[in-house]
Amino acid sequence: MKTILLAASALAFSAGVALADGETIAVFTKNQTNPFFQAERLGAQNAATQMGAKVIQYIPTQPDSIPEQLSQIDDVIVKKPNAIVLVPVDYKAMVPGIDKINAAGIPVVNVTERAAGGKFVAFVGANDYNIGLETGKFLIKALAGKGNVLILEGVRGSLTSVDRVRGFNDAIKEAPGIKLLASQPANYQRLQALQVTENLLQSFPQVDGIMAANDAMAVGAIDALDGADRKALVVGINGTKEAVDAIKSGKLLASGDYNGFLQGCIGTMVAIRSLRGEPIITEKVIQPVVVEKSNYQPWDIPVDARKCPSWEDATKQQ
Amino acid sequence: MSATAGARAPVAISPDMAQLFYRLATAGLLCVALSLASDVFLTVPNILNVLRQTSLLFFMASGLTLVILTGGLDLSIGNNVALSACLAGTAIKATGSPLLGAAIGLGVGALVGLGNGLMVALLRIPSFIATYGMLWVLQGLAYSYMAGEAVYGFPRGFRMLGNGVFLGIPIPVYAMLVFLLLGAGFAQRTVWGQQIYAIGANPVAARLSGVPVRKRLILVYTVSGAMAGLASLIFLARLNSAQADIGDGLTLPAIAAALIGGASLFGGVGTLFGSFVGALILTLLLNGMNLLQVDAKWQPLVTGVIVILAVWLDMQARRRQQRV
Repeated sequence: MKTILLAASALAFSAGVALADGETIAVFTKNQTNPFFQAERLGAQNAATQMGAKVIQYIPTQPDSIPEQLSQIDDVIVKKPNAIVLVPVDYKAMVPGIDKINAAGIPVVNVTERAAGGKFVAFVGANDYNIGLETGKFLIKALAGKGNVLILEGVRGSLTSVDRVRGFNDAIKEAPGIKLLASQPANYQRLQALQVTENLLQSFPQVDGIMAANDAMAVGAIDALDGADRKALVVGINGTKEAVDAIKSGKLLASGDYNGFLQGCIGTMVAIRSLRGEPIITEKVIQPVVVEKSNYQPWDIPVDARKCPSWEDATKQQ
Repeated sequence: MSATAGARAPVAISPDMAQLFYRLATAGLLCVALSLASDVFLTVPNILNVLRQTSLLFFMASGLTLVILTGGLDLSIGNNVALSACLAGTAIKATGSPLLGAAIGLGVGALVGLGNGLMVALLRIPSFIATYGMLWVLQGLAYSYMAGEAVYGFPRGFRMLGNGVFLGIPIPVYAMLVFLLLGAGFAQRTVWGQQIYAIGANPVAARLSGVPVRKRLILVYTVSGAMAGLASLIFLARLNSAQADIGDGLTLPAIAAALIGGASLFGGVGTLFGSFVGALILTLLLNGMNLLQVDAKWQPLVTGVIVILAVWLDMQARRRQQRV
């Protein structure tokens, strides 16, 4: 008996001091369908495993459901995890839920979308306006500052789409040679992007570039171009595996990304470190990267094979 | 209803033809308005474009129309399309065989429909509940199977099913025409088709007059599922990818297409041609808004108002027809 215990503790010791802690971290994401959140969950999982903590994932079965995330918060308050990492499904509507978490005294880290209220240990996320601006500028540079472009908008009223599209528009405003032909919604859906692009190609005989507010719409737009036997440069946002493959084959020009995996890593690291009384950062805005032909390699690694960087690298990076 | 009205009307055209004419009137009006507003609208490429876009919605709405004719509803078709597409897509990727993929897509779709039919016909579960439950089962299966990933990149030959063109006309448009004619012929001109109408009009009378109600119910739900399976193949071929969430926004427009086309949720009333026109109207709306570049914030409102107007106009026209 004693030897087994000794062996176990020796094992624990050799695996690192962290294993002794074994905190439980509840991770909340928006839906099961967007690869971005899948990457974020895997990042959180990887960070927790590295630090010897445990992660429980909470995902609404109905994508982005406000009532479902609210009731999941009620459940989690009863189960009392050591800390919570939260992507609010809606930055305004989830504030009452965050107030409840605060009242229950569970520390919470806000990730990806900044909540409009509540008290947080830290915010880890990105700026959708910047990612739109940088991705838009990249397309315009590739067009040598001249040409006609289309914008495909995401779900109307969602913060991510509003900010990304604002970024696209500002990039276009800075370039006098670029003409915005149309800006139409395709709700982040591939089928709608295909149909909307098909319709717009009917209206405009000359389209040189398409800015899509996510990768699914970008790839839908490419399908429409292929179907109509037309050529245009297309950019998307999120750096998904499919987008990287399209970049490799030359169909997609670029995809802006702010690294969901890394956001999951850092958010979870901050939560665990604050529980252990280790120094943390209270604000980390990850700079956008425009993934393209010359730099796609890190995005080509399957998400489930990626590893979180060390705390020092993660905080110093960018 | 319209059959008796048509019999009383002193017009030379058959009631079926009159029905057809009134069905098309609303869509025609929309087309006239759009061609006045946009000079691109009434061009051959755009018309073919609209028809190709209509096909996906029509495939879903057509099987569903048979279900609605019996007085039932199939809420699971969108998620059926999603699961069938994901399974067919992974099969094609794994084996490189579009034929196997097509068999799986159609097979899974039909199997799901059969499940719905058995629940409704044998267990007597109301169709709304049975197919609502099925919706969640399918969503759960698709989500856990795909785990947030997408399957994409299919062989060129398979993609012809969605993107191909023969004699200047897109392949999905041919498929739509074939299924429209077959379906309309089945519903209007065969005994089985008439039995389906009879079940919806009065299930008790249908049973008493010897209609095998259970068998026909199982048939319509299976057909609805199989059509969802077919739609999933067209979807895969057109979009070159599938994800677990692709079905989320598909069911309601399919139901709307059938109802805009004159089908009644009480059963016994409706035609496949009507559902085709319903799907066409919904597709024209998106096309029109894109061509006229209606601002994103107004698009939902415009859609809602025009759908309501279209149905109201259709009802007015049919009342007038009955009064003559």
